[in-house]
Amino acid sequence: MSIDKIRDLKSAKVIPGDMEVGKYVYTLGLAGEKFFNGLKNGKILASTCKKCGITYLPPKAYCEECHGAIDEYSEVGKIGMVYSYTIQYVDGSGKKLDEGVIWALIKYEGVRGGIVHKLGEVDYDQLYIGMLVEPVFKKKAEREGKITDILYFRPIKP
Amino acid sequence: MRMNIHFKNRVACIGAGLTLFRRRLFETPRELAWEAAKQALENAGMELKDIDCVVFGSAPDAFDGIHMQGEYMVDGAGGYKKPFTRVYVGGGTGVFSVIAGWWHVASGLCDKVLVVAEEKMSPALPHPQYVFHHIFDPITDKPLGVNLIWIFALEMHRYMYKYNIKKEDIALVSVKNKRNALDHPAAQLGAKITVEDVLNSEVLVWPVQRLDISPVSDGAGALILTSEEYAKQYTDTPVWIDGVGWNLDTTYWTNRDLAFPKYLYYAGKMAYKMAGIHNPRKEIDVAEVYDPFDYKELHHMEGLQLARKGEAPILTREGVTERDGDLPINPSGGLLGVGNPIAAAGIMKVAEIFWQLRKEAGKRQVAKDPTTGLAQAWGDLMQIGTVVVMRV
Repeated sequence: MSIDKIRDLKSAKVIPGDMEVGKYVYTLGLAGEKFFNGLKNGKILASTCKKCGITYLPPKAYCEECHGAIDEYSEVGKIGMVYSYTIQYVDGSGKKLDEGVIWALIKYEGVRGGIVHKLGEVDYDQLYIGMLVEPVFKKKAEREGKITDILYFRPIKP
Repeated sequence: MRMNIHFKNRVACIGAGLTLFRRRLFETPRELAWEAAKQALENAGMELKDIDCVVFGSAPDAFDGIHMQGEYMVDGAGGYKKPFTRVYVGGGTGVFSVIAGWWHVASGLCDKVLVVAEEKMSPALPHPQYVFHHIFDPITDKPLGVNLIWIFALEMHRYMYKYNIKKEDIALVSVKNKRNALDHPAAQLGAKITVEDVLNSEVLVWPVQRLDISPVSDGAGALILTSEEYAKQYTDTPVWIDGVGWNLDTTYWTNRDLAFPKYLYYAGKMAYKMAGIHNPRKEIDVAEVYDPFDYKELHHMEGLQLARKGEAPILTREGVTERDGDLPINPSGGLLGVGNPIAAAGIMKVAEIFWQLRKEAGKRQVAKDPTTGLAQAWGDLMQIGTVVVMRV
Protein backbone atom coordinates (compact mmCIF):
# COMPACT_ATOMS: atom_id res chain seq x y z
CA MET A 1 0.00 0.00 0.00
CA SER A 2 1.58 3.20 -1.08
CA ILE A 3 1.38 6.03 1.42
CA ASP A 4 0.30 8.61 -1.14
CA LYS A 5 -2.93 6.64 -1.60
CA ILE A 6 -3.97 7.11 2.02
CA ARG A 7 -6.81 9.57 1.80
CA ASP A 8 -8.70 8.21 4.79
CA LEU A 9 -6.59 8.88 7.88
CA LYS A 10 -8.29 5.97 9.66
CA SER A 11 -6.51 3.52 7.38
CA ALA A 12 -3.04 4.43 8.81
CA LYS A 13 -2.20 5.10 12.40
CA VAL A 14 -1.34 8.80 12.85
CA ILE A 15 -0.30 10.99 15.74
CA PRO A 16 -1.89 14.42 15.77
CA GLY A 17 0.49 17.35 16.25
CA ASP A 18 0.93 21.06 15.87
CA MET A 19 3.71 23.55 15.21
CA GLU A 20 2.08 26.44 16.96
CA VAL A 21 3.69 28.75 19.44
CA GLY A 22 1.03 30.46 21.55
CA LYS A 23 1.35 33.95 20.11
CA TYR A 24 3.85 36.50 18.90
CA VAL A 25 4.40 40.17 19.61
CA TYR A 26 6.45 42.12 17.08
CA THR A 27 8.06 45.42 17.99
CA LEU A 28 7.65 47.99 15.22
CA GLY A 29 11.26 49.13 15.46
CA LEU A 30 12.95 52.42 14.65
CA ALA A 31 11.32 53.13 11.29
CA GLY A 32 8.12 51.23 12.06
CA GLU A 33 7.23 53.42 15.05
CA LYS A 34 7.44 56.50 12.84
CA PHE A 35 5.46 54.94 9.99
CA PHE A 36 2.61 53.63 12.10
CA ASN A 37 2.38 56.77 14.21
CA GLY A 38 2.10 58.56 10.88
CA LEU A 39 -0.85 56.40 9.85
CA LYS A 40 -2.53 57.21 13.14
CA ASN A 41 -2.28 60.88 12.12
CA GLY A 42 -3.54 60.18 8.63
CA LYS A 43 -0.12 60.47 6.99
CA ILE A 44 1.91 58.05 4.88
CA LEU A 45 5.57 58.60 5.80
CA ALA A 46 8.62 57.59 3.79
CA SER A 47 12.29 57.93 4.76
CA THR A 48 15.09 59.37 2.62
CA CYS A 49 18.80 58.56 2.50
CA LYS A 50 20.40 61.93 1.79
CA LYS A 51 23.64 60.37 0.61
CA CYS A 52 22.06 58.12 -2.03
CA GLY A 53 18.98 60.25 -2.68
CA ILE A 54 16.65 57.28 -2.27
CA THR A 55 13.26 57.53 -0.57
CA TYR A 56 11.89 54.31 0.95
CA LEU A 57 8.25 53.30 1.49
CA PRO A 58 7.60 51.76 3.94
CA PRO A 59 10.40 53.75 5.52
CA LYS A 60 13.69 52.10 6.54
CA ALA A 61 15.98 53.17 9.37
CA TYR A 62 18.99 52.43 7.15
CA CYS A 63 19.79 52.64 3.45
CA GLU A 64 19.90 49.28 1.70
CA GLU A 65 22.44 50.67 -0.78
CA CYS A 66 25.05 52.34 1.48
CA HIS A 67 23.98 50.97 4.90
CA GLY A 68 24.05 54.48 6.35
CA ALA A 69 21.57 55.52 9.03
CA ILE A 70 18.43 57.37 7.89
CA ASP A 71 16.70 59.90 10.10
CA GLU A 72 14.81 61.99 7.56
CA TYR A 73 11.09 61.22 7.31
CA SER A 74 8.53 63.00 5.19
CA GLU A 75 5.02 62.52 3.88
CA VAL A 76 4.60 61.03 0.41
CA GLY A 77 2.49 63.01 -2.07
CA LYS A 78 -1.30 62.81 -2.01
CA ILE A 79 -1.50 60.99 -5.32
CA GLY A 80 -0.66 57.30 -5.57
CA MET A 81 -0.71 55.21 -8.72
CA VAL A 82 -1.91 51.63 -9.19
CA TYR A 83 1.13 49.70 -10.37
CA SER A 84 -0.72 46.40 -10.60
CA TYR A 85 -3.94 44.93 -9.25
CA THR A 86 -5.74 41.64 -8.82
CA ILE A 87 -9.17 40.43 -7.69
CA GLN A 88 -9.41 37.72 -5.07
CA TYR A 89 -12.41 35.37 -5.43
CA VAL A 90 -11.34 32.46 -3.17
CA ASP A 91 -9.84 32.60 0.33
CA GLY A 92 -6.71 30.78 1.56
CA SER A 93 -8.62 27.61 2.43
CA GLY A 94 -10.34 27.44 -0.95
CA LYS A 95 -13.69 28.89 0.12
CA LYS A 96 -15.49 31.11 -2.36
CA LEU A 97 -15.81 34.69 -1.12
CA ASP A 98 -19.23 36.35 -1.16
CA GLU A 99 -17.66 39.38 -2.77
CA GLY A 100 -14.34 39.73 -4.59
CA VAL A 101 -11.55 41.78 -2.99
CA ILE A 102 -9.42 44.08 -5.15
CA TRP A 103 -5.76 44.13 -4.08
CA ALA A 104 -3.33 46.64 -5.55
CA LEU A 105 0.30 47.63 -5.31
CA ILE A 106 0.29 51.41 -5.04
CA LYS A 107 3.38 53.46 -5.88
CA TYR A 108 4.37 57.08 -5.45
CA GLU A 109 6.53 59.13 -7.74
CA GLY A 110 10.21 59.20 -6.79
CA VAL A 111 9.73 56.60 -4.06
CA ARG A 112 11.31 53.12 -3.86
CA GLY A 113 8.75 50.59 -2.65
CA GLY A 114 5.03 51.10 -2.21
CA ILE A 115 1.99 49.93 -0.31
CA VAL A 116 -0.11 46.85 -0.91
CA HIS A 117 -3.70 47.49 0.03
CA LYS A 118 -7.34 47.10 -0.98
CA LEU A 119 -9.09 49.26 -3.57
CA GLY A 120 -12.61 50.46 -2.87
CA GLU A 121 -15.35 52.72 -4.30
CA VAL A 122 -14.56 51.35 -7.77
CA ASP A 123 -16.22 48.81 -10.09
CA TYR A 124 -14.25 46.01 -11.68
CA ASP A 125 -14.75 47.40 -15.16
CA GLN A 126 -13.31 50.76 -14.13
CA LEU A 127 -10.00 49.28 -12.94
CA TYR A 128 -6.82 49.96 -14.85
CA ILE A 129 -3.09 49.98 -14.24
CA GLY A 130 -1.97 53.57 -13.86
CA MET A 131 -5.16 54.63 -12.05
CA LEU A 132 -4.54 57.49 -9.61
CA VAL A 133 -5.68 56.74 -6.07
CA GLU A 134 -5.82 58.19 -2.56
CA PRO A 135 -6.07 56.52 0.87
CA VAL A 136 -9.29 56.38 2.88
CA PHE A 137 -8.44 56.33 6.57
CA LYS A 138 -10.55 55.15 9.49
CA LYS A 139 -12.02 57.87 11.66
CA LYS A 140 -9.26 59.36 13.79
CA ALA A 141 -10.60 57.98 17.08
CA GLU A 142 -10.64 54.44 15.66
CA ARG A 143 -7.05 54.40 14.39
CA GLU A 144 -4.63 52.10 16.23
CA GLY A 145 -1.32 52.64 14.46
CA LYS A 146 -1.78 49.60 12.19
CA ILE A 147 -1.75 49.09 8.43
CA THR A 148 -5.51 48.61 8.72
CA ASP A 149 -5.87 52.26 9.78
CA ILE A 150 -6.11 52.70 6.01
CA LEU A 151 -9.46 51.16 5.03
CA TYR A 152 -8.67 51.10 1.31
CA PHE A 153 -7.52 53.33 -1.57
CA ARG A 154 -10.06 54.87 -3.94
CA PRO A 155 -9.82 56.51 -7.33
CA ILE A 156 -9.19 60.25 -7.28
CA LYS A 157 -12.19 61.93 -8.82
CA PRO A 158 -11.15 64.34 -11.55
CA MET B 1 39.87 11.22 10.85
CA ARG B 2 41.11 11.76 7.33
CA MET B 3 40.90 15.25 5.96
CA ASN B 4 41.72 16.49 2.55
CA ILE B 5 41.41 20.23 2.81
CA HIS B 6 43.18 22.44 0.33
CA PHE B 7 42.42 26.09 0.49
CA LYS B 8 43.48 29.02 -1.54
CA ASN B 9 43.47 31.87 0.96
CA ARG B 10 44.42 32.19 4.60
CA VAL B 11 41.43 33.90 6.24
CA ALA B 12 41.63 36.91 8.56
CA CYS B 13 39.08 38.52 10.84
CA ILE B 14 39.53 42.31 10.71
CA GLY B 15 36.41 43.76 12.33
CA ALA B 16 33.64 42.98 14.80
CA GLY B 17 30.37 44.54 15.94
CA LEU B 18 27.79 43.71 18.56
CA THR B 19 24.45 45.20 19.65
CA LEU B 20 23.28 45.21 23.24
CA PHE B 21 21.90 41.85 24.43
CA ARG B 22 18.57 42.37 26.19
CA ARG B 23 15.41 40.43 27.09
CA ARG B 24 13.39 42.53 24.63
CA LEU B 25 14.87 45.10 22.29
CA PHE B 26 12.91 47.81 20.54
CA GLU B 27 14.49 47.33 17.09
CA THR B 28 13.19 44.89 14.47
CA PRO B 29 15.38 41.87 13.62
CA ARG B 30 16.51 43.64 10.43
CA GLU B 31 17.43 46.79 12.34
CA LEU B 32 19.44 44.76 14.86
CA ALA B 33 21.36 43.05 12.04
CA TRP B 34 22.01 46.44 10.46
CA GLU B 35 23.38 47.91 13.70
CA ALA B 36 25.80 45.02 14.19
CA ALA B 37 26.88 45.01 10.52
CA LYS B 38 27.43 48.77 10.52
CA GLN B 39 29.63 48.54 13.62
CA ALA B 40 31.70 45.71 12.13
CA LEU B 41 32.20 47.61 8.86
CA GLU B 42 33.25 50.77 10.70
CA ASN B 43 35.56 48.74 12.94
CA ALA B 44 37.26 47.30 9.84
CA GLY B 45 37.41 50.69 8.09
CA MET B 46 35.12 49.48 5.32
CA GLU B 47 31.91 50.46 3.59
CA LEU B 48 29.19 48.12 2.43
CA LYS B 49 30.26 48.56 -1.19
CA ASP B 50 33.63 46.97 -0.31
CA ILE B 51 31.93 43.69 0.67
CA ASP B 52 31.82 40.84 -1.88
CA CYS B 53 29.26 38.60 -0.21
CA VAL B 54 27.24 38.21 2.97
CA VAL B 55 26.66 35.18 5.19
CA PHE B 56 23.77 35.38 7.62
CA GLY B 57 22.94 33.08 10.53
CA SER B 58 19.93 32.71 12.78
CA ALA B 59 18.45 29.80 14.73
CA PRO B 60 14.83 28.52 14.48
CA ASP B 61 12.57 30.93 12.54
CA ALA B 62 9.99 30.34 15.23
CA PHE B 63 11.82 32.68 17.65
CA ASP B 64 11.71 35.83 15.53
CA GLY B 65 8.34 34.57 14.34
CA ILE B 66 9.11 35.04 10.64
CA HIS B 67 9.36 32.00 8.39
CA MET B 68 12.19 31.95 5.83
CA GLN B 69 14.01 34.50 7.89
CA GLY B 70 17.02 34.55 5.56
CA GLU B 71 15.22 36.46 2.84
CA TYR B 72 13.52 38.74 5.37
CA MET B 73 16.92 39.83 6.70
CA VAL B 74 18.69 40.57 3.41
CA ASP B 75 18.79 44.37 3.42
CA GLY B 76 19.43 44.73 7.16
CA ALA B 77 22.30 42.27 6.99
CA GLY B 78 23.80 44.15 4.04
CA GLY B 79 23.07 41.44 1.49
CA TYR B 80 20.96 43.43 -1.01
CA LYS B 81 22.29 42.85 -4.56
CA LYS B 82 25.10 40.60 -3.28
CA PRO B 83 25.59 36.83 -3.09
CA PHE B 84 23.76 36.13 0.17
CA THR B 85 23.64 32.85 2.09
CA ARG B 86 21.76 31.93 5.22
CA VAL B 87 23.17 29.09 7.29
CA TYR B 88 21.43 27.33 10.12
CA VAL B 89 22.47 24.64 12.60
CA GLY B 90 20.37 25.62 15.63
CA GLY B 91 22.42 26.85 18.58
CA GLY B 92 25.64 26.13 16.70
CA THR B 93 24.70 28.69 14.04
CA GLY B 94 26.71 31.66 15.29
CA VAL B 95 30.07 29.93 15.02
CA PHE B 96 28.89 28.00 11.95
CA SER B 97 28.14 31.29 10.15
CA VAL B 98 31.79 32.22 10.72
CA ILE B 99 32.84 28.82 9.35
CA ALA B 100 30.67 29.46 6.28
CA GLY B 101 32.23 32.91 5.92
CA TRP B 102 35.64 31.23 6.21
CA TRP B 103 34.98 28.85 3.33
CA HIS B 104 33.79 31.68 1.08
CA VAL B 105 37.22 33.30 1.52
CA ALA B 106 39.39 30.19 1.89
CA SER B 107 38.06 28.79 -1.38
CA GLY B 108 38.98 31.95 -3.26
CA LEU B 109 35.33 32.60 -4.15
CA CYS B 110 35.23 35.94 -2.29
CA ASP B 111 37.86 38.21 -0.76
CA LYS B 112 35.76 40.27 1.66
CA VAL B 113 32.85 38.72 3.53
CA LEU B 114 30.42 40.22 6.00
CA VAL B 115 29.14 37.63 8.50
CA VAL B 116 26.02 38.61 10.46
CA ALA B 117 24.02 36.66 13.05
CA GLU B 118 20.81 37.82 14.68
CA GLU B 119 18.24 36.44 17.04
CA LYS B 120 15.15 38.02 18.45
CA MET B 121 13.68 35.53 20.89
CA SER B 122 11.27 37.91 22.59
CA PRO B 123 8.36 37.80 20.07
CA ALA B 124 7.33 34.23 20.97
CA LEU B 125 4.65 33.95 23.65
CA PRO B 126 3.89 32.70 26.24
CA HIS B 127 7.63 31.96 26.49
CA PRO B 128 10.33 31.32 23.86
CA GLN B 129 11.15 28.00 25.52
CA TYR B 130 7.85 26.81 24.06
CA VAL B 131 9.39 26.93 20.57
CA PHE B 132 11.68 24.06 21.50
CA HIS B 133 8.66 21.79 21.91
CA HIS B 134 8.59 21.48 18.13
CA ILE B 135 12.16 20.35 17.49
CA PHE B 136 11.65 16.82 18.81
CA ASP B 137 10.46 13.65 17.11
CA PRO B 138 6.70 14.18 16.63
CA ILE B 139 5.86 10.53 17.25
CA THR B 140 8.09 9.30 20.08
CA ASP B 141 9.04 12.46 22.00
CA LYS B 142 6.54 15.25 21.41
CA PRO B 143 3.43 13.50 22.82
CA LEU B 144 5.26 13.43 26.20
CA GLY B 145 5.32 17.23 26.23
CA VAL B 146 9.11 17.11 26.12
CA ASN B 147 11.00 20.29 26.94
CA LEU B 148 14.60 21.17 26.17
CA ILE B 149 15.48 21.73 29.82
CA TRP B 150 14.44 18.14 30.66
CA ILE B 151 16.91 16.74 28.19
CA PHE B 152 19.70 18.90 29.54
CA ALA B 153 18.77 17.89 33.07
CA LEU B 154 19.15 14.23 32.07
CA GLU B 155 22.53 15.02 30.50
CA MET B 156 23.70 17.09 33.48
CA HIS B 157 22.68 14.37 35.92
CA ARG B 158 24.50 11.68 33.92
CA TYR B 159 27.63 13.85 33.76
CA MET B 160 27.50 14.46 37.54
CA TYR B 161 26.97 10.76 38.21
CA LYS B 162 29.75 9.51 35.92
CA TYR B 163 32.48 11.76 37.33
CA ASN B 164 31.09 12.28 40.83
CA ILE B 165 30.66 16.03 40.33
CA LYS B 166 28.92 18.16 42.93
CA LYS B 167 26.45 20.92 42.09
CA GLU B 168 28.60 23.32 44.15
CA ASP B 169 31.42 22.90 41.64
CA ILE B 170 29.14 23.37 38.65
CA ALA B 171 27.66 26.52 40.23
CA LEU B 172 31.15 28.08 40.24
CA VAL B 173 30.86 28.43 36.46
CA SER B 174 27.72 30.57 36.77
CA VAL B 175 29.35 32.69 39.48
CA LYS B 176 32.47 33.26 37.32
CA ASN B 177 30.65 34.02 34.08
CA LYS B 178 28.10 36.42 35.53
CA ARG B 179 30.94 38.24 37.28
CA ASN B 180 32.97 38.42 34.06
CA ALA B 181 29.95 39.86 32.27
CA LEU B 182 29.95 42.89 34.59
CA ASP B 183 32.79 44.17 32.38
CA HIS B 184 31.02 43.54 29.06
CA PRO B 185 29.26 46.62 27.63
CA ALA B 186 26.62 44.52 25.82
CA ALA B 187 25.84 42.25 28.78
CA GLN B 188 22.32 41.50 29.94
CA LEU B 189 22.97 39.57 33.16
CA GLY B 190 26.29 40.61 34.67
CA ALA B 191 26.03 40.10 38.43
CA LYS B 192 27.92 39.37 41.60
CA ILE B 193 26.41 36.15 42.87
CA THR B 194 27.58 33.33 45.13
CA VAL B 195 27.45 29.55 44.90
CA GLU B 196 24.72 29.66 47.56
CA ASP B 197 22.64 31.97 45.34
CA VAL B 198 22.80 29.37 42.57
CA LEU B 199 21.96 26.48 44.89
CA ASN B 200 19.07 28.39 46.44
CA SER B 201 17.59 29.54 43.12
CA GLU B 202 14.32 28.10 41.87
CA VAL B 203 14.54 24.46 40.76
CA LEU B 204 13.30 24.29 37.18
CA VAL B 205 13.95 20.68 36.21
CA TRP B 206 16.28 19.09 38.76
CA PRO B 207 19.28 19.40 38.77
CA VAL B 208 18.81 22.49 36.59
CA GLN B 209 18.03 25.61 38.64
CA ARG B 210 17.26 29.17 37.59
CA LEU B 211 20.86 30.41 37.94
CA ASP B 212 22.31 27.40 36.10
CA ILE B 213 20.75 28.59 32.87
CA SER B 214 21.25 31.43 30.36
CA PRO B 215 18.48 33.96 29.72
CA VAL B 216 16.18 34.67 26.78
CA SER B 217 17.75 37.45 24.73
CA ASP B 218 17.52 39.67 21.65
CA GLY B 219 20.68 40.78 19.88
CA ALA B 220 22.93 40.68 16.84
CA GLY B 221 26.63 40.41 16.03
CA ALA B 222 28.78 40.77 12.92
CA LEU B 223 32.33 40.09 11.74
CA ILE B 224 34.39 41.00 8.68
CA LEU B 225 36.48 38.20 7.15
CA THR B 226 38.98 38.78 4.36
CA SER B 227 41.75 37.08 2.43
CA GLU B 228 45.34 37.76 3.50
CA GLU B 229 45.88 40.17 0.61
CA TYR B 230 43.01 42.45 1.66
CA ALA B 231 43.57 42.03 5.41
CA LYS B 232 46.93 43.74 5.03
CA GLN B 233 45.34 46.65 3.18
CA TYR B 234 42.91 47.36 6.00
CA THR B 235 44.78 46.55 9.21
CA ASP B 236 48.14 45.89 10.83
CA THR B 237 46.54 43.56 13.35
CA PRO B 238 44.51 40.86 11.61
CA VAL B 239 43.40 37.83 13.59
CA TRP B 240 43.74 34.65 11.56
CA ILE B 241 41.19 31.88 11.49
CA ASP B 242 43.58 28.96 11.27
CA GLY B 243 41.25 26.07 11.99
CA VAL B 244 37.55 25.33 11.59
CA GLY B 245 35.66 22.19 12.57
CA TRP B 246 32.11 20.95 12.85
CA ASN B 247 30.57 17.58 13.47
CA LEU B 248 27.17 16.02 14.17
CA ASP B 249 26.39 13.23 16.59
CA THR B 250 23.27 11.09 16.16
CA THR B 251 19.84 12.76 16.23
CA TYR B 252 18.72 10.03 18.63
CA TRP B 253 19.90 11.66 21.82
CA THR B 254 18.98 8.40 23.52
CA ASN B 255 21.93 6.81 21.69
CA ARG B 256 24.56 9.33 22.80
CA ASP B 257 27.13 9.23 25.56
CA LEU B 258 25.50 11.92 27.69
CA ALA B 259 28.59 12.30 29.91
CA PHE B 260 30.94 13.20 27.06
CA PRO B 261 30.17 15.40 24.03
CA LYS B 262 31.56 13.39 21.13
CA TYR B 263 30.16 15.87 18.60
CA LEU B 264 32.59 18.37 20.02
CA TYR B 265 35.51 15.98 20.37
CA TYR B 266 35.38 15.34 16.62
CA ALA B 267 34.73 18.99 15.69
CA GLY B 268 37.66 20.05 17.87
CA LYS B 269 39.93 17.41 16.34
CA MET B 270 39.10 18.70 12.86
CA ALA B 271 39.90 22.31 13.81
CA TYR B 272 43.05 21.37 15.71
CA LYS B 273 44.37 19.32 12.83
CA MET B 274 43.85 22.19 10.40
CA ALA B 275 45.52 24.64 12.80
CA GLY B 276 48.40 22.26 13.58
CA ILE B 277 47.52 22.01 17.26
CA HIS B 278 48.73 18.83 18.96
CA ASN B 279 48.16 19.60 22.63
CA PRO B 280 45.08 21.83 23.02
CA ARG B 281 45.44 22.18 26.78
CA LYS B 282 48.90 23.72 26.32
CA GLU B 283 48.45 25.52 22.99
CA ILE B 284 45.06 27.22 23.47
CA ASP B 285 45.57 30.38 25.53
CA VAL B 286 41.97 31.49 25.90
CA ALA B 287 38.65 29.90 24.96
CA GLU B 288 35.02 30.88 24.61
CA VAL B 289 33.14 27.60 25.01
CA TYR B 290 29.37 27.34 24.70
CA ASP B 291 27.73 27.79 28.09
CA PRO B 292 23.92 28.02 27.84
CA PHE B 293 24.03 26.03 31.10
CA ASP B 294 26.87 26.13 33.63
CA TYR B 295 27.59 22.37 33.36
CA LYS B 296 27.91 22.74 29.56
CA GLU B 297 31.04 24.90 29.96
CA LEU B 298 32.66 21.99 31.83
CA HIS B 299 31.26 19.37 29.46
CA HIS B 300 32.53 21.33 26.46
CA MET B 301 36.00 21.95 27.93
CA GLU B 302 36.36 18.19 28.18
CA GLY B 303 35.00 17.60 24.67
CA LEU B 304 37.56 20.11 23.36
CA GLN B 305 40.38 18.32 25.24
CA LEU B 306 41.01 21.46 27.28
CA ALA B 307 40.53 19.24 30.32
CA ARG B 308 40.58 15.48 30.84
CA LYS B 309 37.24 13.73 31.37
CA GLY B 310 35.84 14.81 34.73
CA GLU B 311 38.67 17.30 35.26
CA ALA B 312 36.99 20.56 34.19
CA PRO B 313 35.24 21.11 37.55
CA ILE B 314 38.59 20.71 39.32
CA LEU B 315 40.28 23.28 37.05
CA THR B 316 37.36 25.63 37.70
CA ARG B 317 37.61 25.18 41.46
CA GLU B 318 41.35 25.87 41.31
CA GLY B 319 40.79 29.15 39.44
CA VAL B 320 42.53 27.98 36.25
CA THR B 321 39.58 29.20 34.14
CA GLU B 322 39.44 32.70 35.64
CA ARG B 323 40.65 35.67 33.57
CA ASP B 324 43.95 35.64 35.46
CA GLY B 325 44.24 31.85 35.34
CA ASP B 326 46.35 29.66 33.10
CA LEU B 327 43.40 28.78 30.82
CA PRO B 328 40.79 31.57 30.89
CA ILE B 329 37.38 30.26 29.82
CA ASN B 330 34.60 32.64 28.79
CA PRO B 331 36.28 35.90 29.78
CA SER B 332 33.38 37.69 28.04
CA GLY B 333 30.93 36.41 30.62
CA GLY B 334 29.55 33.83 28.20
CA LEU B 335 25.91 33.11 27.52
CA LEU B 336 25.24 32.92 31.25
CA GLY B 337 26.37 36.51 31.73
CA VAL B 338 26.30 38.40 28.43
CA GLY B 339 23.11 36.69 27.26
CA ASN B 340 21.94 34.14 24.75
CA PRO B 341 20.39 35.52 21.55
CA ILE B 342 21.18 32.17 20.04
CA ALA B 343 23.07 32.73 16.77
CA ALA B 344 24.28 36.16 17.87
CA ALA B 345 25.73 34.60 21.03
CA GLY B 346 28.02 32.45 18.87
CA ILE B 347 29.29 35.56 17.05
CA MET B 348 29.75 37.25 20.42
CA LYS B 349 32.13 34.42 21.36
CA VAL B 350 34.19 34.70 18.17
CA ALA B 351 34.25 38.50 18.60
CA GLU B 352 35.56 38.07 22.16
CA ILE B 353 38.47 35.93 20.95
CA PHE B 354 39.10 38.53 18.22
CA TRP B 355 39.28 41.30 20.87
CA GLN B 356 41.31 39.18 23.31
CA LEU B 357 43.93 38.31 20.69
CA ARG B 358 44.12 41.98 19.59
CA LYS B 359 44.40 43.00 23.28
CA GLU B 360 41.33 45.16 22.81
CA ALA B 361 39.15 43.51 25.44
CA GLY B 362 39.60 46.34 27.95
CA LYS B 363 38.66 45.33 31.47
CA ARG B 364 37.96 41.82 30.22
CA GLN B 365 41.51 41.34 28.89
CA VAL B 366 43.00 38.09 30.20
CA ALA B 367 46.17 38.34 32.28
CA LYS B 368 48.31 36.11 30.10
CA ASP B 369 49.54 37.19 26.68
CA PRO B 370 47.26 35.17 24.39
CA THR B 371 48.30 34.28 20.84
CA THR B 372 45.92 31.36 20.16
CA GLY B 373 42.24 31.29 21.02
CA LEU B 374 39.18 29.16 20.38
CA ALA B 375 35.45 29.84 20.10
CA GLN B 376 32.80 27.15 20.08
CA ALA B 377 29.05 26.71 19.87
CA TRP B 378 26.65 23.79 20.16
CA GLY B 379 23.30 23.14 18.54
CA ASP B 380 20.89 21.33 16.25
CA LEU B 381 19.16 18.67 18.38
CA MET B 382 21.98 19.13 20.96
CA GLN B 383 24.22 17.26 18.56
CA ILE B 384 26.48 19.61 16.61
CA GLY B 385 29.79 21.11 17.67
CA THR B 386 31.11 24.14 15.76
CA VAL B 387 34.67 25.35 16.41
CA VAL B 388 37.06 28.02 15.16
CA VAL B 389 40.71 28.37 16.19
CA MET B 390 42.16 31.88 15.86
CA ARG B 391 45.71 33.21 16.04
CA VAL B 392 47.68 36.44 15.89
